[in-house]
Formats: sequence, C-alpha cells, structure tokens
Amino acid sequence: MPQLEMMSALDYQSDVYKDAYSRINAIVIEGEEEAYCNYNQLAGLMPTDAVELQKLAKMEFKHKKGFEACGRNLGVTPDIPFAKEFFSSLHGNFQAAAATGNIVTCLLIQSLIIECFAIAAYNIYIPVADDFARKITEGVVKDEYLHLNYGEEWLKANFSTAREELETANKQNLPLVWKMLNQVAKDALELGMEREALIEDFMIAYGEALANIGFTTRDIMRMSAYGLAAV
Amino acid sequence: MFGLIGHLTSLDHAQSVARDLGYPEYADQDLEFWCSAPPQIVDEITVTSATGQVIEGRYVESCFLPEMLATRRFKAATRKIINAMVHAQKNGLDITALGGFSSIIFENFDLSQLKQVRNVTLNFEKFTTGNTHTAYVIARQLEQASKQLGMNLSDCTIAVCGATGDIGSAVCRWINKRLDVKELLLIARNPERLLALQDELGRGKVMTLDESLPQADIVVWVASMPKGVEIDPTTLKQPCLLIDGGYPKNLATKVKHPGIHVLNGGIVEHSLDIDWKIMGIVNMDVPARQLFACFAEAMLLEFEKWHTNFSWGRNMITVEKMDQIGEASVRHGFRPLLLETI
Repeated sequence: MPQLEMMSALDYQSDVYKDAYSRINAIVIEGEEEAYCNYNQLAGLMPTDAVELQKLAKMEFKHKKGFEACGRNLGVTPDIPFAKEFFSSLHGNFQAAAATGNIVTCLLIQSLIIECFAIAAYNIYIPVADDFARKITEGVVKDEYLHLNYGEEWLKANFSTAREELETANKQNLPLVWKMLNQVAKDALELGMEREALIEDFMIAYGEALANIGFTTRDIMRMSAYGLAAV
Repeated sequence: MFGLIGHLTSLDHAQSVARDLGYPEYADQDLEFWCSAPPQIVDEITVTSATGQVIEGRYVESCFLPEMLATRRFKAATRKIINAMVHAQKNGLDITALGGFSSIIFENFDLSQLKQVRNVTLNFEKFTTGNTHTAYVIARQLEQASKQLGMNLSDCTIAVCGATGDIGSAVCRWINKRLDVKELLLIARNPERLLALQDELGRGKVMTLDESLPQADIVVWVASMPKGVEIDPTTLKQPCLLIDGGYPKNLATKVKHPGIHVLNGGIVEHSLDIDWKIMGIVNMDVPARQLFACFAEAMLLEFEKWHTNFSWGRNMITVEKMDQIGEASVRHGFRPLLLETI
C-alpha cells in the first residue's frame, strides 16, 4: 500500500499565502469580535448568567487581539470589510433572534455553530500554522472548548423546552455555514487546510455537542449534515 | 464495554445501508460527502458467553470506504480511522477492535505517530487489530476443513498468499510449529520480507502466485487489497481448499468450479445468538451467529478483562499468543466457520 503523501512546505512569506491569509485572518478577527459582542448581548438577555457570559466575552476579545498580532507578524493587513460581509447572514440571524428574545437560537448560533466552526478551523490550522500563530491558536482553542461547554450545559439543562427551537435554528443556520465554508475553501487550502477535513472536524465537534445536549445519534446524523448536500 | 470499528464495503453499499437504516441525509451522497462524514456509534451489542457471562459493546462506523484508497484519497482514509478511534475512546470503550481495512490503514500509514488528536491523547492500549484471533481461526480452519475434505496434511502442499503480513506470518508460524505438512509455499510482494520470513521459519519455498497455485492442495489467502485478484480455477488442483482470509472477501464469487472448495477465512460462529444489527448489514450468512474473528477478539478481551492491545504492531504474533486467545475463544463459545457441504 502506498505511503501517505507529505504536503509540500508552505511559504508563509509568499504573496499567494499572504493574500489568502488577509481574508482568513480577517475572518478569524471578525469572528472573535462578533463572539465578543454576541456574549455581551447574551449577558443582557440572561441576567442570571451575566457574569459568566461577560467573562466569556472578555476571552473572545483577548483572542481577537491575539489573531491581530498573527496578521502583523506576517505583515498582512486583514481584509475586514470582506469578513464583515462573510458573517453578515449569520450576524443578521443572531440579531433577529436576540431582538425577539430567542435565547436558544442565539446560543445555537454563537455557542454551538460558531464555536464548533472555530474549534474545527483552529485544530486543522495548528499543524500548518507558522510558529507564532501556532502558539496563539493553541491557547485560543483551549478557551473555545470552554465556550462550547457553556452553551452545551445551558441547552442540556433546558433540552425539553429548547429542542424544537434548536431544530428550527439548525435548519436556518447550518446551510449558511456550508456556504461560508465554500466561500473560503480556496483560501483555506492555500494555508494548508482542506475543505473536507474542516467539514469533518466541524461535524465531529457539532455532533458531540448535540449528543451532550441530549440528541440521539439519529438526530445528530440528520441535523449535522443538514443542507450539506445542497452546497 | 468493548468496541468494534468497522466500515462498509463500497460507496453503493454505504448508500443502500444508509437508505435501509433511514438516514436519507447520508443515502444519496457521493464519495466527497463520505470523505467529510464523521464517525458514529450505530449499533449497541449484547453478547452472552457459553459461560453465561454477558457483555455490552458498541459498533463505531468510521465512514471509511475502500474507494478512498482506490482514488488515492489517503488523507481522508487515515482521518476516518483516527477519528473513529478517538470516538471510541471518548465514548469510554475499554477495548476496541480495528476491523476490515482499519488496522491495515493504521499499520501502512504508520498512524501510531498521530497520538495527539485535537484535545484527545489516544491510548493505543485500548485498541487491538484482532489479528491474533484471526490468525488462530484461520489456522484451525485449515486443520479442520482439510479433514472435512479427507485431506491428509502430511501429503498436502500449502500456499500462503500474503505470507509476510501480520496474519500471514502468524499462520506460517503455526503451520511450521504445529502441523506436519508436505510443503509450505510463501507468496508475497516484498522479496526482502519473504526472505526474512523464510529465514525465521527455517523452511518454506518462496514463489510467485502463478507458480504456486497449481501446486497447492490448500491455499490460504490473507493478502488484503482494495481490488480482488483473478484466479483461473482450471489451473488449481482438484480437490483444492481455498481459505479466503483476505479483506474484502471476494474469492467465493470469483472462483466457482467443481472440486474447488472456498471457505470464508477468519470467520467465527458463536454458539449463542448475538443481539446486534451490523453483521446483517455486512452480509454474513447467519448474522446473529457469524462474525469476523478480529471483532470476536475484542469480545474475548472484554470477557477476560484483558483490556490491552493484545494484537498490535506488525509480525509480533507468536504461536503462544494464538494458543492463549484460542483457549479463550473456545471457552466463550466461538468456533471457526467450516465448510457447509462437501
């Protein structure tokens, strides 16, 4: 049987790498910024959990600073307008849910979908990152597991009342994630991250979260693959 | 709790199983989708020993498909195996067998170097290839099925195809130490490994497949490859016992000829029904009783509370270890599959 083919070494200073990095780095910075805002907004909606949520928000802000440093280290200017546009649909859905007090939908978007996507992306990125970014990302990914855990625990405790809204919110939002992923697949590949590995890691993290919340394997297979075939 | 990591035999098979089990999201998907699909626990298993002891297990579907190797999607193939192992470990399974291509991929791509996966450190002690039990079962099938055919082993030439593999070399050691056979023919692709095996055994003729087959009374087929090999049955001796211990099993459908007896190798029958769905899915003739010997090894290790990687690494299987797992196999009510009709 043939041996596993090694990937060719990445040139972190090449124009093609830096061009792709300007968008991926911006997405990560903007993602952390949105997470910071989302957790602060959730703190307003969930007064009894406000202290913990504000703590999570602060961590996200720290992550954002870390990723800004990664961009500076490579001499890359992040394309923030691109990233804002990239997140606009998901951002819009979160704001609409927050405006009507749909905490379950807000938590699914921020604490499950965005956190799982971040965990998948960071885990795939770590082995191919430059030394500076690797250290930063390794620290961040540990925090993100805590954030995922917060959402999981809350939704688990409220599973019987949250279940239906979770299923609806999953149908609304998961297809957006697949579209977003496709939009950056080429740039991610320039950074050594393969689309199929990103999807697999996302589905693993998301499936584990849904299992912890209380969904069955059958639910998980249905929910975590929702909309993937259409993109 | 024991675990079994398995996979389906082709994309077509995977699609039809997903449809039958009611997973439409997986049923109509192409290979691309399966390359991204995560592992899932899809079956809960209860096994009762002949001693009366009852154990529980889980079946982990890795979502690996042999087409991933055929289309050289090696990274996807290796991810499937590693992720299934992580899933087994995270779900608290004490001893898990790597079935089908899983152990072959693990060995060939040297996945033992990937110990740290995301936030999980894989504990390889909790996994077994199941190859010791498979080798034991094939060796016993050779002894017993040849008797069914009225063959006298001391007059028989035995060809082992895939002789230098983990299972093949173990079967050769058993033949060498335990059986009185006329001649042992060693067939494999790598000449250096063949010479090393011949040196270790102190016997055996190194031959090509085409040279050896017409001389063999018994062929033990333990080579594993994504695509089958064509064998012209008219070139074989009659009678000839062909033990198909390779993966996937495809000799029975390919070699149909009077006087040629094909036996599915490395398959055991349990003396009591096993409560599971998965062996029906992999098309066993008697799904409640028959299973791959490698899977049965995980059950034996669970029955005996030997929560350790009993079979691990390449070419480490001794005749003594085959005896040890063989005794457990008999004790708990497993027996090698034999020829149905002669």
